[in-house]
Amino acid sequence: MTTTTIEAREELRASLREFLADRAPLSAVRRHVDLDEPLDRKLWEALARDIGVQGLAIAEAEGGAGAGWAETAVAFEETGRGLTPVPLLATIGLALPAVLAAGDDDVRAEVLPRIASGEVVATLGWIGEDGDWNGAGDAVRAVRDGGQWRLSGALGFVLDGQSADILLVVAATDAGPSLFLVDGDDGLVRTPQPTLDQTRRLSVISFDGTAARLVGTDGGAAAVLADVLDRARVLLAAEMLGGAQACLDMSVTYAKGREQFGRPIGSFQAIKHKCAETLVQVEQARAGVEAAALALNEEPERVAVLAPLVKAYVGDAFFRAAAENIQIHGGIGFTWEHDAHLYFKRAKSSDLLLGDAAAHRAILADRLGL
Amino acid sequence: MTTIDLGPRTKAFRDELRQWLEANADDEARSLQEERRPSRQPNEASKRWADKLLEAKLICVAWPEEFGGRGLTGIELAVLNEEFVRAGVPRVTRGMGEGLVGPSIIAHGTDEQKATFLPRIITGEDTYCQGFSEPNSGSDLASLRTRGVVENDEVVVNGQKVWTSGYWAANMLFCLCRTDPDAPPHRGISYVLIPIRVDGQPNGIEFRPIKQMTGDANFAETFLTDARAPLFNVIGGLGNGWRVAMTTLGNERGGNATTQHLAFEREFWSLVELARDTGQIEDPRVRDQLAWAYSHVELMRCQGQRILRTLAAGKQPDSGGAGSVNKVFWSEYQRRLGEIAMNLQGAGALLVGPDYKLGRWQSTFLTTRSHTIWGGTAEIQRNIIAERILGLPREPSVR
Repeated sequence: MTTTTIEAREELRASLREFLADRAPLSAVRRHVDLDEPLDRKLWEALARDIGVQGLAIAEAEGGAGAGWAETAVAFEETGRGLTPVPLLATIGLALPAVLAAGDDDVRAEVLPRIASGEVVATLGWIGEDGDWNGAGDAVRAVRDGGQWRLSGALGFVLDGQSADILLVVAATDAGPSLFLVDGDDGLVRTPQPTLDQTRRLSVISFDGTAARLVGTDGGAAAVLADVLDRARVLLAAEMLGGAQACLDMSVTYAKGREQFGRPIGSFQAIKHKCAETLVQVEQARAGVEAAALALNEEPERVAVLAPLVKAYVGDAFFRAAAENIQIHGGIGFTWEHDAHLYFKRAKSSDLLLGDAAAHRAILADRLGL
Repeated sequence: MTTIDLGPRTKAFRDELRQWLEANADDEARSLQEERRPSRQPNEASKRWADKLLEAKLICVAWPEEFGGRGLTGIELAVLNEEFVRAGVPRVTRGMGEGLVGPSIIAHGTDEQKATFLPRIITGEDTYCQGFSEPNSGSDLASLRTRGVVENDEVVVNGQKVWTSGYWAANMLFCLCRTDPDAPPHRGISYVLIPIRVDGQPNGIEFRPIKQMTGDANFAETFLTDARAPLFNVIGGLGNGWRVAMTTLGNERGGNATTQHLAFEREFWSLVELARDTGQIEDPRVRDQLAWAYSHVELMRCQGQRILRTLAAGKQPDSGGAGSVNKVFWSEYQRRLGEIAMNLQGAGALLVGPDYKLGRWQSTFLTTRSHTIWGGTAEIQRNIIAERILGLPREPSVR
């Protein structure tokens, strides 16, 4: 996968930011949350049609733009900045890498153009309702019934599980964890899980003899999952970086305008230093995310270290930025009507998703050979 | 580095360096340690190595070519550091002369001043120590009270400075003094290069070593009593010293953001060795701390690469505050690293050697307390970040 230039990435950022400001400002995000609609499908389609976000990491021959993961990370950063209610992490952060890693040419040819065009939402489920991110991939069992694989069991915490048109499932066969594709709704029940972070939709999906298609090799999902999780860690970190930057921007804007004791509160060192510390961490996070996203394209050997590293570091940085943002805003920051709590809840949900910062530092320690 | 296309010029530079190092990096040179501060008595081997580098124009390499440097870009500087590390030989730097005074002279000096002072820094003839802080002017540097009075073609300086490091090896003091007491605080200051001795005679500068919490005395109080410097030695003109000092301080806290991770990475793996030796490497709490530490070192590498990518794209990296971001990050990281190392040692860390000789990690633990103070405290750096990068309003002055 090639890496385009800094200029190309900044152009993408600018056009995406303009698009999102127009189509999905925070006021629209709040309406979406209040209406409790699972998906703004028009926005999702426009994101593909007008900007081509979903196809950035898909090769041109397979319906995409062939731009790479560094561009994709820019898209995550911008949608994270605006809490844009689109199923990007589910479709591009989880399902797409799973299809790419599974090595199944038929499924690739079928699925990738549909993802790139924005026609479908896809997701991947691999853990059960117990929420164990390091589970053995056996929350769902798959058995062969004649020529047909059938799934039984239940997945939990499935990102955008209500709206996913294409459902990828890690299920255990006699050969071990294997990747399956479920297209359509026959024989499965989707139940929304009420989420603390209302901008992040999760579902329980239960199967009862549901027909499914094996993707790649029987017993091959452990390696697929390892690759998928590292990509998801980097892209989620990019999304968190955007959220952290948004919190910093909100804090600084408020600190400049809000006056107490006859002066802007941003002239007090207590406030200044909070903002400065957030900036220090955001800058380091940016360098880490950029390096990790470029490594996905060019330096796969660095991904093993950088992926858990940025998941942990940026997770901590986003949470801190979101927490300080509430503190800097004072009472208004604690209200439902203010946007600060949306970021605060998103920060914690992102930190916990895939495993928290400490869990990722433990992974990093293992991978460093400590 | 592997992701960045270095281009033909940089590749040629690397090849040239490699050839030179192969021919010149002998066993004696490899036995030398990188000097973090000027030594009290440089040994013969160090001198021989420095002379070789001087002849090959490998000293003050970041200075522009017209001033005796090589005008190395950030990328080439990173290459240079890499090649020296690879060859196992130390770089030779000219301390504050190279890093602080030279760049300030290049930015603010006259042609005659550049021609006079810069070559003497490169050859090692002049070694500088710093006279900025005063007992009552630390973070609030602009309140300094050391007086400079112009008499004929000389400035006569009286006052007291503090935290003068490297004084024992220096023959020059770069000093801020107030030459116009009636001007506003930032306006009446001049930046003067004062010889410590003139024609072999004392020039009214006395150093009294300050014993630090480490037990060492790397600093001194500096007393100036009618110390004289030619007016020619005033950089940037009388009353313009604050601007020159800001250039100096910008360089002091800038560090070398593209290569600093190399030393921090070596230090990190030493800490891992310590955790192995003490049998704590399997302790999840210790593993968490080590992973935390490695993350910070790796992020420094990422930040350095980000700067190089920006340079390689023909753009200038962010300035005005970026040095402060870097200073806060590495200084607070290393401070925490020292604390982690102490805890790993447990009871062993309670004891020192004869004459209060510190172990490596005790030394890190204590020394790092100064890193968040010198060159502007961490609090001052956060003010700079808040005001220059984020545009938050300055605190109203009560002066």
